[in-house]
Amino acid sequence: MIWRGLLLLWMAVSMVAAFTWAPLVPGLEETTRVLYFHIPAAWLSVVGLAWSMVHSVLYLVRRRIEHDDHAAAAAELGLLFCVVATVSGSVWAKAVWHSYWNWDPRETSIFFILLIYGAYLALRSAIEGEERRARLAAIYSAAAFVTVPFLVFVVPRIYFSLHPDPLINPGVKIEMDPRIRSG
Amino acid sequence: MSAALQSATGAERPSIAATGVWHRYGPGRGLQPVSFEWSGPSVAAVTGANGSGKSTLLKVLAGLLAPSGGTATLSIGGSVVPDRARRRCVGYASPDLMFYDELSCAENLAFAGEALGLPDVRGAFTAALDQVGLGGVAGDRPAALSSGMQQRLRLALALLHRPAVLLLDEPSSHMDDEGRDLVARVVEHQRRTGLVVIASNDEREWTVAEQRIELRGRGLGGAA
Amino acid sequence: MPSNGSSSAAAVWAVLRKECRSEWRTRYGLNAALLFAVTTLTAVSFAIGRLANRTDLLAALLWIVLLFAALASLSHAFVREVEGRTLLLLRLVASPTAIAVGKLVFNLLFLAVLELVTVPMFLVLMGGPAPRWGAFLGILALGSLALAGCATLVGAVISQTRGRGALFAGVSFPLLLPMLAAAVSGTRAQWEGNPVGGQARLLAAYAAAVLGASLLLYDRLWED
Repeated sequence: MIWRGLLLLWMAVSMVAAFTWAPLVPGLEETTRVLYFHIPAAWLSVVGLAWSMVHSVLYLVRRRIEHDDHAAAAAELGLLFCVVATVSGSVWAKAVWHSYWNWDPRETSIFFILLIYGAYLALRSAIEGEERRARLAAIYSAAAFVTVPFLVFVVPRIYFSLHPDPLINPGVKIEMDPRIRSG
Repeated sequence: MSAALQSATGAERPSIAATGVWHRYGPGRGLQPVSFEWSGPSVAAVTGANGSGKSTLLKVLAGLLAPSGGTATLSIGGSVVPDRARRRCVGYASPDLMFYDELSCAENLAFAGEALGLPDVRGAFTAALDQVGLGGVAGDRPAALSSGMQQRLRLALALLHRPAVLLLDEPSSHMDDEGRDLVARVVEHQRRTGLVVIASNDEREWTVAEQRIELRGRGLGGAA
Repeated sequence: MPSNGSSSAAAVWAVLRKECRSEWRTRYGLNAALLFAVTTLTAVSFAIGRLANRTDLLAALLWIVLLFAALASLSHAFVREVEGRTLLLLRLVASPTAIAVGKLVFNLLFLAVLELVTVPMFLVLMGGPAPRWGAFLGILALGSLALAGCATLVGAVISQTRGRGALFAGVSFPLLLPMLAAAVSGTRAQWEGNPVGGQARLLAAYAAAVLGASLLLYDRLWED
């Protein structure tokens, strides 16, 4: 319980700090603020998808309904974060590159994840019967799990991406102002 | 290989063992935990009010339904039949079994025989149709048959591969007196070498059973 | 016990023959699909006209037309069983994997027939340069394989739900996106004189991945 409280507090502080205390990245200026929402949301949507898919496979293997509960919950939360990531990214793109959507690799990837979430939840809503729903949703999730790696190859990494890569080097170091990182 | 199985059913005895089999369809509907062991040659009956789970139990025994809990194993001659081979050892008939309307009765059974890998498909379905008295309508479409004759076709499907175990869910439904006699003959014939399980509300159908379980209640009221 | 391999192959073959026979007797599935494909193609051609050297658009439109036609028709194989209530019969005589593989091969044949009509029409109506036949057909074949693989798996899942056409399209699409991207890219490349090896390998790998996962997952499709 205490952890939830602390987490909530941290998130609240981060959000306020995003607008007041955090420094601005040169070149991006005020739009930096969106980073605090966009990047964590994007990460969480990926983590949610992975969590959901892993539990789907576990359900198929072990046939325990708890795995399905995890999968569904992760999917619902993940969808929320994915929408936040997509929308915040799109708004940022408009502000910085003057175009809401460009199908650059990152945009395509997050959209793909959004589609998977949408399809998974739509499928779940169309099935009655707890066990049938769990089974069919898990089958779909497992199939989607197989396709996700291919998007990495399909969306070429070699062409110029509008995404601000300079912030994160191909190396290991993250050259961000420590205040940004603490957010 | 299935010829060997057929001769084996004459000598080996089939048995079904269920341990704590239960199934939940939804709140308040399902099959209460049930355990039993039946050995052939014999006839067993599953009785109980509507909604008590008779059909559910038969589906579990046939391998059509994975129960929410518990296990049901089929053994022949002492060795357990693996799940993937169960369909060759079990003949199942229930009123919700439908056939392909675009194929004739013979073609439906021929398809079944081919899929089951029977060595002599034509011989098998001809014999099955004759056994249930449908020899004359083999070329007709199932939709052209009366409901009583369709029920006979279901029996023919169950008998097609001469299984060791027959699972009959309300076998005399839609049947006239002649049909009931046919069912009785089929059961009698099967009980000599194998196991018959009849699920029914109708006492006339299961009065010949040597073993019987009565399912009680309207299923599961909550998580079991 | 009969060996698993030969009986599964027999079941797949039986299912495939049954599908072909049923489709031939009713024909409405193929008719509807062809009509849909031709209609879509006509609409595109009417609206856009000839695209002499816009190979990017040509490649995209070809695959969009094929995709739409597939999404409108490939769930038919499973929906037909559910609507005719013959799934029980199928499950009694064949394993889930055999059923699904049989229908997968049927879907492949179905798609091939569809493409046999649609692709030449497309090339004629839309203009465009002559394709490098080897590369063109290779990409077409591999893309179709992936398309059929995804559509069969999703079709089997959707047939057990309340949703139909729209849900089938929506649920299939994420799985089809990588295949679509690679196929469009490959088709465009062969028109532009570029090598298609990369896209072909990608499509082949994708098809293999989807088919492999499907083979593992089909077994769990029908448990109630």
